[in-house]
Amino acid sequence: MAEIVGPGDGRQRDAFSLDHGGRQISVDMDVKLLHLEDESLLCRIQEGSHEAFAILVDRHSNRFYRIAYRLVSSRDDAEDIVQEMFLKLWGRPNLWDPGKGAKFTTWFYRIIINRCFDHHKKKKLINVPEDIEFADENPGQDVLFDMHQKQAVLERFIRELPERQQQAVNLCFYEGLSNNEAAQIIGVKVKALQSLVMRAKTTLKYKIKQYLGGGPR
Amino acid sequence: MTMNDKQFKDKLLMYGADVRNWPKGIRSLGLKALNSFPELQKLVEEEECFERVLRTRQYEEPDGDLAGRIVAAALPRKKKVQRKLGAFFSDVFREFSLSRRALTAVSVSLIFTLIIGFTIGFSNPSGYTSAEQYETRLEDFLNYEGDVL
Repeated sequence: MAEIVGPGDGRQRDAFSLDHGGRQISVDMDVKLLHLEDESLLCRIQEGSHEAFAILVDRHSNRFYRIAYRLVSSRDDAEDIVQEMFLKLWGRPNLWDPGKGAKFTTWFYRIIINRCFDHHKKKKLINVPEDIEFADENPGQDVLFDMHQKQAVLERFIRELPERQQQAVNLCFYEGLSNNEAAQIIGVKVKALQSLVMRAKTTLKYKIKQYLGGGPR
Repeated sequence: MTMNDKQFKDKLLMYGADVRNWPKGIRSLGLKALNSFPELQKLVEEEECFERVLRTRQYEEPDGDLAGRIVAAALPRKKKVQRKLGAFFSDVFREFSLSRRALTAVSVSLIFTLIIGFTIGFSNPSGYTSAEQYETRLEDFLNYEGDVL
């Protein structure tokens, strides 16, 4: 990404290239900005720095896309949500209040997750045919199952979890966040977060076993 | 201090099947329990199998450069809001890559040209037509007896 092009006007600058549908957008930026922490970048964004915004987006858009995708199960919708939220931040950067002391990622995860659940409520759940054959002669040997069917069922099981359990599983298991960070994002204590993860996994394990023909244990 | 079956099972759910990745405080306890009670190995294998199933969940990478699209979408909107005369000129200067000295020279020469132009325009003694001259010419025109066409 960042290729240093020389001092130019005395300041060291980077050519920051972004590919937009085959069209290269070049953002010429101060190298110092690249090393700033998110919260400092946000202060620059509040002053109107598009360069700072570009760095923040480049640094975090994929991680926010991942959690959005996990929650809405659609590439287009997840991309739209991430774009919409970043543009909202750009249009109204004062929404971020450094005085509250939360990390940018924690705050923005919360925003993305809330938006995903709002979006999700407007859409119907993915319909999975109930008559799919899941029982197998060798319970536990899931490799023989059709991948798409398995994915659809797994998705449905996760969607059937209560919202907070879904968030806990997505953040801790799929995103690999620490319990502390996940707890802050969801707005619960660490113990409560651990309890959410345990309950979610227990439920999923039970349902998967049932479908695989092993029955509850 | 030891870890019983129930505690081990809870930690498996909480921190995953790879005991070596558990938080430092309980990792050694977990490994110790695993070595002491071989039946716990079965729980670990079961958890590994469960995690493999969870990892089959569908995921699609974003289409193209998501960051690029967001940055591009943000650019014009903010510029409209923030456009100021100074920013406009600095953009123009940057676009034409002229040095400050050259731009100053161009600006000063333009201003001088304008001042000279206005001075000539207002003072214009030769181009001035008095009311008397105008009337005479009109009279000449009205009294003209030659062919009109």
